[in-house]
Parts: sequence; structure tokens; C-alpha cells
Amino acid sequence: MEGRIIVVTSGKGGVGKTTATASIGAALALEGKRVAVIDMDIGLRNLDVVLGLENRIVFNIVDVVNGKCKLRQAAIRDRRIENLFLIPASQSDNKDILTPAGVERVGRLLKKEFDYVLMDSPAGIERGFENSIASADEAVVICTPDVSSVRDADRVIGLLYARSITPKLVVNRIVPEMVAKGDMLSHEDVIDVLSVPLVGLVPMDQQVVISSNVGLPLVMQNDSTAGQAFRRIARRLNGESDLPIQVPSHKKGMWGMLTRKFGKK
Amino acid sequence: MGTNDMPPVKLKGVGDGFWITVDPQAPEETIEEQLTLLFQRLRHLAINARITLDMGGATGCDELVTRLTAFLKETFQVGVVTLPPEKRSIPVERTRQRDLSRGWKHHRSDVLMLRGRVRSGQKIESRKHIVIMGNVNPGAEILAGGHVIVLGQLRGRVHAGISEDETATVVALEFRPTHVQIGGVAAAGLDSAGNGKAEIAVVEKGRIVVQSYLESNLFDALPWPEVM
Ligand SMILES: Nc1ncnc2c1ncn2[C@@H]1O[C@H](COP(=O)(O)OP(=O)(O)O)[C@@H](O)[C@H]1O
Ligand SMILES: [Mg+2]
Repeated sequence: MEGRIIVVTSGKGGVGKTTATASIGAALALEGKRVAVIDMDIGLRNLDVVLGLENRIVFNIVDVVNGKCKLRQAAIRDRRIENLFLIPASQSDNKDILTPAGVERVGRLLKKEFDYVLMDSPAGIERGFENSIASADEAVVICTPDVSSVRDADRVIGLLYARSITPKLVVNRIVPEMVAKGDMLSHEDVIDVLSVPLVGLVPMDQQVVISSNVGLPLVMQNDSTAGQAFRRIARRLNGESDLPIQVPSHKKGMWGMLTRKFGKK
Repeated sequence: MGTNDMPPVKLKGVGDGFWITVDPQAPEETIEEQLTLLFQRLRHLAINARITLDMGGATGCDELVTRLTAFLKETFQVGVVTLPPEKRSIPVERTRQRDLSRGWKHHRSDVLMLRGRVRSGQKIESRKHIVIMGNVNPGAEILAGGHVIVLGQLRGRVHAGISEDETATVVALEFRPTHVQIGGVAAAGLDSAGNGKAEIAVVEKGRIVVQSYLESNLFDALPWPEVM
């Protein structure tokens, strides 16, 4: 069976695309899937750092697309998580070095090698975005609970629909205390505007910063609430669509169960 | 507009009362001044007299009629004030008969009617009216030559009556646009989150006014449904 290519995108920068790509990728690999995570943020690569694989880079995705190396030569195997591979971005080129057609061609090869291919898209909706969605069958849109992130996510969702991709939504960096006080949009407010299927809610979690600094996959840290949320997102993407969505709660150690049906208010 | 050679108020005796023709376009003070001049000359003849207020067939001056009626009654103790009996109009009858028989059936729509959500960055543009069954998100834009009706939340930018048509209106079940323009009149959105009621925006005295659609009764005065 052919693999699935999922683009992780958002429009806005700094909302957690790279964190989500690394975490969901690692979690899918822990589920026993063969996974490639690909850094499409040409010129600003950092997926390698988040995964702690920066010292092992030889080739990159630009080399693969331009035929300078084989796919297998560029794919770095993670030594801690079996079946997880990284294809890094190049650091020196700019985004125009790739074309959607070139990425699409490599996408067909990737699907033969892997069960899941996650494309970490750059911020923006220009060429870099076009490249990262070129070969995608599915999309996960990352959004944080603030007005500008919602606006950008909405724009990107419109562009994905225009390509007949129905994206799934992750709301990241939720601070339950602030939501409770009314200082932060709730996930309901976000879904009210975006109205796409939700795959998960991820709380703000210090472990995210710590684990990306030490290059240890978040989902391997059992005490990370964000890591747990990403593992559940991976399971949902991997077919467990009835796994209930948990709402981050500010009561320590507590998760509120989400019972309301989305899209109805 | 009132013309200079036509006096804003004319008075003539008819049977048991007086027939007053008023130009509703004239300033209200001028009308009252002229009425005062004329009625002072009538003296006691005005008391309890039957008055017919003829606004020259103009529509939409109900409030003016109410105020002038009160003014005449208080100032000159006139009797009953009525409007002239409506005359049957052959052209009007003809169009209404046509509406009944086939006019509406054969009317080609000037409406772009859409359903679904309009997202940030999407722009819907039409020389016609636009009706959207769905929500218009912040960052989306609706541009219509005529009216705009949103059967849902309106939270983006909206411009109705693009070619300077200030009679255009914007209706939304939840009216929260970030920016509204009707014809050449523009306004920033309101901060309020709406009150759960449908609202309508119209241009009134050069400004955009938003009011509850049901309470506005804007179209109740039209006795016959007409094509927009
Ligand atoms: N759930 C979270 N809790 C805390 N910090 C987070 C969370 N998600 C992301 N971050 C932090 O936010 C910053 C931006 O995340 P990143 O994944 O690089 O975003 P993007 O790839 O969209 O630019 C990083 O410093 C990351 O560690
Ligand atoms: Mg990134």
C-alpha cells in the first residue's frame, strides 16, 4: 500500500509547525509506522535541531529533488526511535530553488518508501508553501489561540480547499488558566471560525522548549502534557478517529473530556 | 428638490374644509412658517376645519405628516386632518397585474446566491446583489454592486452599492464586519459582538446606521413586493 503525505502548515510562523512535525512523526514511528519527516523550510532549517540530528546531515531535500543524491542517502535514521527518518532542509539556498513539480516527483518516491511522510512547511503562503503542499494528500493546520494566527490559518485553509485538500486542525499552545479567565481565545472560538475537523488540542508546555534544546523527541518524555497530546494526535491520524479529544485543563493532572459536538453551538 | 417658483405650501378651500398642498422636500421650518402665514389669515375659519394634507404623492414622509398634523391642531385648533384619497394609477395597476400574471415568473435574477463559509483572503465580487448562506470570516471581503445579505455571521469586510449606490443595504444575521461601506460612505466595524438579532445597515443622512432588522420596519411601508 502507498504511504500518505501530510503537510503541516499554518500561514503564520512560530505557532508550532516544526514542533508538531517532529512530535507527530516520532509518535507515528513509535506506533510502528515507517515515517519520514521532511524539512521544507529551505534556508531556515530547524527540524534537525528539534530532533537532535543536526550533526549527522550530509545531504538535504534540495539535493534529492535536484538529483544530487538518492533518497536513501539523504534520509537520516533516528537512532532512538526505530523507523523514524529525517530529510533536512538546506541551510544556504532560498525557497525558489525547488519547484512544485520537482517536489511532486520526489513525493511519488517517498510514498513507496514510507507509511507516513510529514512535510514541515515554512511560514507564509508563497513558493515555499506551494512546494510543501505540492505532493501532499492531506494537511494538518496548526493554529494558536490568538486572532492573528486564526486569521492566517483561515487563509491557508481556504488555499488548501482550493487544492481539494480538507485540512485537519491542531490548536497549539493553549493556556487553560488564560482561557478560563477569558484572556485567551478558547478552542471553541477558534473552531467557530475555522470549522474544519479537529485532531487535537495541545497545551502550552515548558517541556517543548527543553526537549527541543536537548534534541530529545518530546513524545518520549512521559511527563510532557504536550507530548501526550501529540501522541494522541498521531493515533487519531493513524485511524483511531474515535479517540476522544481531551481539553487541556488548568486543574493539575486533569483532562476535561470534550463532549460537545463541534460545529454546533 | 423644491423649486423656487413653486411655493412650499399652497392652500385652497374645498367644500367644508381646506386642501393644503405641501412640498415635503422644503425645510420643515419653512413649511411651518408658510402654514402660519396662511392660517393667521383664516382666523376663526380654521377652528375645527377639516384639513386635507396633500404631500404631492410623495412616499416616506409619514413622520412629517404626523408632525404637521400636531402642529396645525395645537396652533390653529383645526379639526380632522386627513391625507388625500389615494387615486388609482393606471400604470401602477398595469405593472401589478403583470407581476401577478407572469412578471415574477420570468424575472431573471440579479442575485449571486452562494452557500458555505467565506474564508480570510477570499474575495467575492459581483455587479449584482450577493446572498450568502453561511458565515463570512474575518479577513474575507464581499463586494456587491447592489445589496448584501448574509444568512450567518458577517465578520469580514463588506462593500455594498459599489458604484456609489447609497440606497444599498447590508443585512446579516450576526452583524460584526470589520469594515462596512455602502456607496461612498464607509465606517469601521462595531466592537459589539451583536445581540443575536439580525441587523441591517443603511445610509442615513450621510452616515451608516445599523439597526435591528425586524424592528427597523424598513420595508413595511412598501405595499407591493417589488424587484430589487
Ligand atoms: N505547546 C507548546 N508549548 C510551549 N512551547 C511551544 C509549544 N509549541 C511550540 N512551542 C515553542 O514555540 C516556538 C515556535 O515553535 P515552532 O515549532 O518552531 O514553530 P513554527 O515551526 O511554526 O515556526 C518554539 O520555541 C517552540 O519550542
Ligand atoms: Mg518551523
